[in-house]
Amino acid sequence: MAVLKYESQVRPPLVDNAKDYHQVTEDIVRPIEAAPSRLWWIGFLISVGLLLFGVYSIYREVTYGVGQWNLNKTIGWGWDITNFVWWVGIGHAGTLISAILLLFRQGWRTGVNRAAEAMTIFAVICAGQFPIWHMGRVWMAFFVLPYANTRGPLWVNFNSPLLWDVFAISTYFTVSLLFWYSGLIPDLATVRDRARLKWRKFMYGLLSFGWTGSTKHWQRHESLSLVLAGLSTPLVLSVHTVVSFDFATSVVPGWHTTIFPPYFVAGAIFSGFAMVQTLLVVTRKVLNLQEYITLEHIEVMNKVIVLTGSIVGIAYLTELFISWYGQNPYEGWAFAQNRLNLFSPYGWSYWLMMACNVISPQIFWFRKLRRNLVVTFFMSVIVNIGMWFERFVIIVTSIYRDYLPSSWSTYYTPTIWEVGFYLGTFGLFFTCYFLFSKFFPVIAVAEIKHILKKSGESYKKNMTEIEKLDAETFYHDTHKHHHDSSEVHH
Amino acid sequence: MAKKKYWQSFGELNHSEAYEKSIANEFKEELPFESADKKGLINAPASRRDFLKYLGFSTAAAIAAASCETPVRKAIPYVNKPQDMVPGVADYYATTYVSGGEAIPVVAKVRDGRPIKLEGNTLSTYTKGGTTARLQASVLDLYDTARLRHPMANNSATSYEAIDRQINSALSALGNGQLVLLTSTINSPSTKQVIADFLAKYPNSKHVQFDAVSYSGMLLANEATYGIRAIPTYQFENANVIVSLGADFLCTWLSPVEFQHGYTAGRKVNKTRTDMSKHYQFESMLTTTGANADERYTHRPSETGIVAAALLSAINGQGATGVTGKLKTGIEKAAKDLVANKGKALVVANSNNTQVQIIVNAINEAIGANGTTINWASTNQQFQGIDSDMATLVQDMEAGRVGALLIYGANPAYEYFDAERFKKSLKAVKLTVSFNDRKDETTQLCKYILPAPHFLESWGDAEPKSGHISMIQPTINPLFDTRPFQESLMKWSGNNTGWDAYFKEYWVNKLGSNDTFNKALQDGVIETPGTATAGAFNGANVASAITAVSGLRKNSGYELVIYQKVGLGDGKQANNPWLLELPDPITRVSWDNYAVISPQLAKKDFNIDLGNPKSADEYEVNVMKPVIRLKVRNTTVELPVIVVPGMQADTIAVAIGYGRSKEVGRAVGAADGGTLGQNAYPLLAYNGTTIDWHTPVEVSNAGRKYKVATSQTHNSYEGRHEVVREVTLAEYKKDPEIIYKERAKELEMFGGLENFAKDGTHYPVYDRPGIKWGMNIDLNACYGCGACVVACHIENNVPIVGKHEVARFHDMHWLRIDRYFSGNPNDPESIQTVFQPMLCQHCDNAPCENVCPVAATHHSSEGINMMAYNRCIGTRYCANNCPYKVRRFNWADYTGADSFGNNQQPLVDEGNLDDVVLMMNDDLTRMVLNPDVTVRSRGVMEKCTFCVQRCQDAKLKAKREDRPMVDSDIKTACQQACAAGAIVFGNANDPKSEVSGVRSENKNRLYYVIEQIHTMPNVSYLAKVRNSDDNGFGGRLTEHVEAAAEAHGQTSGHSVESH
Repeated sequence: MAVLKYESQVRPPLVDNAKDYHQVTEDIVRPIEAAPSRLWWIGFLISVGLLLFGVYSIYREVTYGVGQWNLNKTIGWGWDITNFVWWVGIGHAGTLISAILLLFRQGWRTGVNRAAEAMTIFAVICAGQFPIWHMGRVWMAFFVLPYANTRGPLWVNFNSPLLWDVFAISTYFTVSLLFWYSGLIPDLATVRDRARLKWRKFMYGLLSFGWTGSTKHWQRHESLSLVLAGLSTPLVLSVHTVVSFDFATSVVPGWHTTIFPPYFVAGAIFSGFAMVQTLLVVTRKVLNLQEYITLEHIEVMNKVIVLTGSIVGIAYLTELFISWYGQNPYEGWAFAQNRLNLFSPYGWSYWLMMACNVISPQIFWFRKLRRNLVVTFFMSVIVNIGMWFERFVIIVTSIYRDYLPSSWSTYYTPTIWEVGFYLGTFGLFFTCYFLFSKFFPVIAVAEIKHILKKSGESYKKNMTEIEKLDAETFYHDTHKHHHDSSEVHH
Repeated sequence: MAKKKYWQSFGELNHSEAYEKSIANEFKEELPFESADKKGLINAPASRRDFLKYLGFSTAAAIAAASCETPVRKAIPYVNKPQDMVPGVADYYATTYVSGGEAIPVVAKVRDGRPIKLEGNTLSTYTKGGTTARLQASVLDLYDTARLRHPMANNSATSYEAIDRQINSALSALGNGQLVLLTSTINSPSTKQVIADFLAKYPNSKHVQFDAVSYSGMLLANEATYGIRAIPTYQFENANVIVSLGADFLCTWLSPVEFQHGYTAGRKVNKTRTDMSKHYQFESMLTTTGANADERYTHRPSETGIVAAALLSAINGQGATGVTGKLKTGIEKAAKDLVANKGKALVVANSNNTQVQIIVNAINEAIGANGTTINWASTNQQFQGIDSDMATLVQDMEAGRVGALLIYGANPAYEYFDAERFKKSLKAVKLTVSFNDRKDETTQLCKYILPAPHFLESWGDAEPKSGHISMIQPTINPLFDTRPFQESLMKWSGNNTGWDAYFKEYWVNKLGSNDTFNKALQDGVIETPGTATAGAFNGANVASAITAVSGLRKNSGYELVIYQKVGLGDGKQANNPWLLELPDPITRVSWDNYAVISPQLAKKDFNIDLGNPKSADEYEVNVMKPVIRLKVRNTTVELPVIVVPGMQADTIAVAIGYGRSKEVGRAVGAADGGTLGQNAYPLLAYNGTTIDWHTPVEVSNAGRKYKVATSQTHNSYEGRHEVVREVTLAEYKKDPEIIYKERAKELEMFGGLENFAKDGTHYPVYDRPGIKWGMNIDLNACYGCGACVVACHIENNVPIVGKHEVARFHDMHWLRIDRYFSGNPNDPESIQTVFQPMLCQHCDNAPCENVCPVAATHHSSEGINMMAYNRCIGTRYCANNCPYKVRRFNWADYTGADSFGNNQQPLVDEGNLDDVVLMMNDDLTRMVLNPDVTVRSRGVMEKCTFCVQRCQDAKLKAKREDRPMVDSDIKTACQQACAAGAIVFGNANDPKSEVSGVRSENKNRLYYVIEQIHTMPNVSYLAKVRNSDDNGFGGRLTEHVEAAAEAHGQTSGHSVESH
């Protein structure tokens, strides 16, 4: 039976150390039951502070008008939509990890999917703030919803990419939320079952919808996961495609580009993975989960980063080539003068984007650097800065000098309230994330248990045992073993 | 029946104590409320009755609370409606715009008792209905919050009776002191009569006319050479060759409305007329007229006389003497053209120097202008002041010879070059009286202030040109306790008739009957053939003049030119936010004045190199401009610099009209507590006879920066011929289809010109039957003066945003005039300028429409791109997607129409919004709003509507009269304001309409801006034809081209002149 003793050289165990099911539950659920650490409090309070600043920034903007921001008659969108696209992009990694990797049966996703999905939801919440609050009359925001109304045959404009955004983002948010929450239910039940406090039992009882772990529950749960994964998968592609239509369907040189949909999706995954890295490198350390979120995870994700970063790089070069090859003087100007020209007012932002997104991720061709936590963390921040600038470059450097030179704008720098709004969404994001890490298992306990017997030390040990058996016993035993496994989940 | 007693209880029968007590109690049973008292309301067992009570109370309370809403301001209808007045229907009254001596016949639109708009009076044969920016804006002066509301004596309110008493006694006690009436030019026949009567009453009296911008030099020169102290009519329409020596006759010089019309006659090129006049401009700074010239040559400001002399000698065949280089070539070329077009040529000069004007007269005599392009039959009477009269007056005042000074229409404490001396001398005058509508710099210093009515509240007349009388009639009851200046003079000369009665009697007597008087009021103008004649030319002074001017030249050092901006003029309307926000045609700056400097000076002293793209970019995108210190004699002024190519290298130009005293009004104050701009009048020089508008100046870098509000930062159109098409007359004559072919080539791959509409798109193309509104703008007839911009502001309630908002690119102009330069920034002669009015193009395939998520902007069946303000949620996507960048967003609550109420005060306090925005929210100021146009609230997008309210009105009018709509039914505000007729508007589907006619007649010049992106605009342009020899510079500042070509790694497709 030597053929069974297969230990992959390229696929190291997904969970380090020989963990048993109880230990897994202990490791992951313990932070929920313990009092939050000092570090948690500091982080949480900073986040809430930022959030409050953001709320005040929005209050200013709503009370006094969009004039609180430095947008102008030429630059109608600036930090607001830049941040919107950036946050939406960040959300993509979560969906990719939870949906596409689930369908592709990538076992390693279990270590990171919960946090990544949570990140998706918070990022989409943050993203959603921008198109809402950037409206001049936000109290009329409900006009974008196609609801039966008393205003006569007045309907939304289905031709408008902004309306597509409304549908795309709301669908995305709904599906992501359902997916994330349905995955949480078994774990919430675990927390409930372990709870000693009355209120805790009650709250988690409510949240877990009376999950008992019966086979019927599990069967339905699995089916639902698959269905939602199936629904989410096209969303990974569609959401950012639709967001890119905001630009691609316009007449603005530099926006009107057919390459945008794939380029935006690649960019979204790129930035999303970077954000996951940023969060996980910290989370695993703070919550002591190095054994579940291993260096292998970090490395795999760094591979995705170098891949998507290179795709984005190719897209940039293609854009440049087409702007020259297309011989459209306005598009040519947008690329050659507004962006490539380092000495133009925003030239620096283009080159900063190039450096961050295309050049710097190439260091991940080296395994050593892929597995270096400090480098990973640093790079993940760099990539997100780069991707922020990508959106800024696309939005601002296109419109600030378009067709009529008479309207070429003055230099656009944000006001404190624009910056405040952006910081506020960071506050919102991290407030949510801190609350999440305090009240929910940051790693999918049930799913980890799924892979536990297929990966890790205990698996190897198990295999060694099995090795020793002859074929007949093995046949008999595996059946027995299989029978056992259906009961292990709690 | 005995007294039978009925009883209900033993208690009642026996009158028990308990019973007595109980009947004193109204409710014999305990009220159920008591249970509530014991247990508290929440816990009380509520009976059905209680429930109903609570329900009733809470419903009533909820209704009461819900009915608390924003206070409703009621418009109360007339109890007795005046006859002939229909609420909502405008009345029109002919009257006259008056500012100083300037007068232009107008028609005032009055809605429900409020004048809200002025249009030119088309019955006037010399203005032909043209207007200026200042005229358009003057309606707001009526509703100015800074206007004086009651008479004042020694700075406290008083009554006219008291003032009359005091002044009568003061005037009778004058003794040796002279009584001086100081006014701006008075050309009103009736007022002149009143003044004559008044002066006759006081023997030791005189009338001094003082013009802030005077034409003394011209008046004196004409007196010397033609024996008449008058200014003739210049008939540009008769001139094939026009030479202007610094005269900005299209915008600020003398009578621009009249000249624009005449000049345009020679500039339009179409199927039938393939020739155009040739316009040479010799000047130091780049004036708006110079920007429109075919050929322009620069010289030092002090050389004007020498240029004139050189031109004269060149015309006389002796060559241009005393000048060298390009200037010499230019003068000789101009001279050759002038001589070749003898009798069809005209030379005008801005100079206020008598000697220079004598030479100019000699030139005009030599080229046969006198009697052909110069007409003495009707003289211009708008500027009659002689500078030396004012100087004499100041000397008299200083010497104590003046006992009483009555000031009307003049503001020497601000406008006089030596205002400090005037102010000091004013202290020596015992009796000072000012008739003014506001406490300006002079009025503040006067003992008695009599508020003067606005011309829209007055009776009166004006004779801006001899034989052209324009009547003034009130269009609104006086808003404040004002009294006409004339009435005061009449009262003080013992005539108690009252001005209204006097005025009517004056004209009834003159015209013969009440009916003719009424007819004159109705028409607004009375025109009689001019009778003035000039003597024969007397050339005796010419030789001495030539000698005199040769000594004026300064060979080195910087020289300052002081000029008028088209928006503010001499500054009489300085508190008008519409004018302050109107960008200057050349610099595109609003709200401030500044020092216009040449690129050479910018490079040398401020390290700004317009030829270097990086440096130019830095200068352009940054609102903080370096400050220059200008020192003239003992006066130092610090102003931000604006670099304008086309300036003579050593010339600096500063506009007058700024730096006003705070009492002039809210709009003139800067956010930091200072004033907007600096007063440039003290920089003027006096040469003993006349004021010189140029002077040597010492410059230094003040080492600080100042925020300047510019609404256009980029100067060049970067060779984008799809935006601006220009062609030289020679090219055009050689191939009249040059523009047409260029277009055809660009559209070749999209189906060509014929099938572009259909083949340029994947989408279906629809018929557009019925009305299709269309506009055509002739770039050859747009001189950039901005009258249309202000007219649009007024007609459409476009908000004023203030300096800081303009600096943030938040200006709201629906119609703007883009200005582009081309040429080499370091070679002023090479600079060519083009003005392009830009407004919503009302595209058939409007990119803004399909991107709005809520369909707030959409297309009318008549081709108008419309905004439903109530539906707009303010995503600004439409503005981003507008290739013409004509959409404007309400960034703050500029109009007080906000859903959140008036919450701008905190922004003003923080310095983020200018106080002037609040001024525009005042109830008084808001009376100027056009009730036919929605006032937009914060957070919504707005833009040109093709004056949809006027379109609607035109259709209704035609419908009411049961006939098809014709052109005369509809004029957009911009079209109506334009003195040059650059804009035509109408139904493009009607082959007989003017717009269809212009389009088909000018097929060869017609184009649409960035046509190939298939927006299918409804605004067409006619390409600019310049009567110059060279090919132009492809619309770029050339050094830009080279740098850009390097960056591209390819050469530009357009020809580049090398220098």
